[in-house]
Amino acid sequence: MDVKEQLNLIFREVFDDDAIAITPQMTANDVEGWDSLSHITLIVAIEIKFKIEFNRKELRGFKNVGDLLNAISAKIKT
Amino acid sequence: MKSVIENDQYNIGHICSRQQVERGLGGETAFRWISAKHERAEYSFADLDRESSKFANVLKGLGFAPGEILFTFLPKTPEQFFVFLGTLKLQVICGTLFSNFGDDALLDRLGDARAKGVVTRKSLLKKLLRVRDRLPALRYVIVIDIDEHQSADILSYAKLMGQASSDFVALLTPPDTPSVLHYTSGSTGKPKGVLHAHRAVLHLTQTSREVFNLLDSDLFWCTADQGWVTGTSYGIIGPWSLGVTQLHYGGAYDARVWFDLIQNEGVTVWYSAPTALRMLMREPAELFRGYDLKALRHIFSVGEPLNPEVITWGRSVLRHDIYDTWFQTETGGIMIANRPGLAIRPGSMGTPVAGAEPAILADDGTPLGPDQQGSLCLKRGWPAMFSTFLNNPSAYASKFRGDWYATGDTAIRDADGYYWFKGRSDDVINTSGHLISPFEVESALLEVEEVAESGVIGAPDELLYEKIVAFVCLHKQFTWSRELEVKIRVHVGNRASSLATPQEIIVVSSIPKNKSGKIMRRVLKARYLGQDAGDLSTMEE
Repeated sequence: MDVKEQLNLIFREVFDDDAIAITPQMTANDVEGWDSLSHITLIVAIEIKFKIEFNRKELRGFKNVGDLLNAISAKIKT
Repeated sequence: MKSVIENDQYNIGHICSRQQVERGLGGETAFRWISAKHERAEYSFADLDRESSKFANVLKGLGFAPGEILFTFLPKTPEQFFVFLGTLKLQVICGTLFSNFGDDALLDRLGDARAKGVVTRKSLLKKLLRVRDRLPALRYVIVIDIDEHQSADILSYAKLMGQASSDFVALLTPPDTPSVLHYTSGSTGKPKGVLHAHRAVLHLTQTSREVFNLLDSDLFWCTADQGWVTGTSYGIIGPWSLGVTQLHYGGAYDARVWFDLIQNEGVTVWYSAPTALRMLMREPAELFRGYDLKALRHIFSVGEPLNPEVITWGRSVLRHDIYDTWFQTETGGIMIANRPGLAIRPGSMGTPVAGAEPAILADDGTPLGPDQQGSLCLKRGWPAMFSTFLNNPSAYASKFRGDWYATGDTAIRDADGYYWFKGRSDDVINTSGHLISPFEVESALLEVEEVAESGVIGAPDELLYEKIVAFVCLHKQFTWSRELEVKIRVHVGNRASSLATPQEIIVVSSIPKNKSGKIMRRVLKARYLGQDAGDLSTMEE
């Protein structure tokens, strides 16, 4: 399973929606229930699943799912 | 000021739409809609009247009768407004639900209200269908983004509206007719349905003028979701009862987007919340200096006490005062406020609005003098006062001491008549302006297989005002892990709401309880804050 597929599973679990199909352009405005509080749950879930950690600067820089995917991919390569 | 009541017609749906058309405002913009994807649309008062009348006919055709209950379970969309006003035109009670509510939250509210209908959208339908079989009174689910009816009771909004006549005259509505229903959390038991009456329009009109200083030429932006009383009282009723144009934006918080909207749309009066303002404070000041805010006359805030730092920031960075206002779901409208023309005392709630008669009372009901802390109470009788807790008259009666409604807040009044919020007299948590019941969070936590006991408190937080802190005691065979933390967070978020998700989860060996088994949240709070827990004589050994 590639990074995008794994991330999609996390989105489906956190936002309780089996129909979610993430795209790089997707933002919080496109996912029902993606608010500042569920975002924290999403980030913690990503960190655990991929065994990575984000710093504050990285967290502030995420504007869409594409940014998240790029950051995850960069971290798991290092 | 001329009353908005004409010919004894108190109907909010009528006053906010048809009456504005009759005043000659049919061609004027009622609201400018900006979607999350920044698509724009303008809806006139004539549009608002036509669409809400069609929806009233839809409900009538489905057999809804005055006094029955319909909920909206929607994010901010134009349909939210048409449905709300159309429902009220027929004298059906309109309840509103946050779109981030989970299964348990939906079940509690729709079940207690015995709702006959819900208007929602496709992406939220799944949540509703999961609890549907436990809602025997629910007859119709109307979905705003499907083209065809799915079954005899899952219906397409577009199809129903396409067949409905726009010819509808609101029934002559006496002032005490039930209107809007919002559920509010207490520290014990299930959420209670706060029922309002059409007479509330008097108070909402008056406070929109007195506090917001609304003028006919204004563009008013209330950022509150319609699931919150602010979103219906001042994101719908107050401004539209005066024929004032509103901006409604369907996207999430984003500092740049918000300020683009204020500048480019020409917002003149902006009503938001302290958490949002504190988030804006975290942005670099240069971001705001690039904006031309000349059109913006006033900024107001509601939901939690506004820290003096935010007021100072507003003055230095935005070059505007920020006026804090205070009210509750039960009060229906603003009762105490800072406002233009009144010197701001940073950190104060302000002074009472016309028609509000607050007092600080001791536990025995004795009035307290200046600077003495006590229970903030309001003399009953203002028009927006709630009528009852739905199906729970004894809980309603327990909120009153004679003629005084006890707000549950503690406060002081200074010698000059300004009120100062001091805290809550119960365990209810105010996070980002939303009241969360610790009981609801504890109940959701106990549904997680690994959790044996739970206790939940609110703790001070710089951004949220209060954050939710959960203490959990695990069954012996389980150990704590970050995976379990995610499981708990996801579960609470999806069963209650994302707002109820604990910000901190602390594993303990036991939860302090008194001898009758009640969770001693004050002990948990004192331990968390490193304070003396006080009298522990009633604590279970």
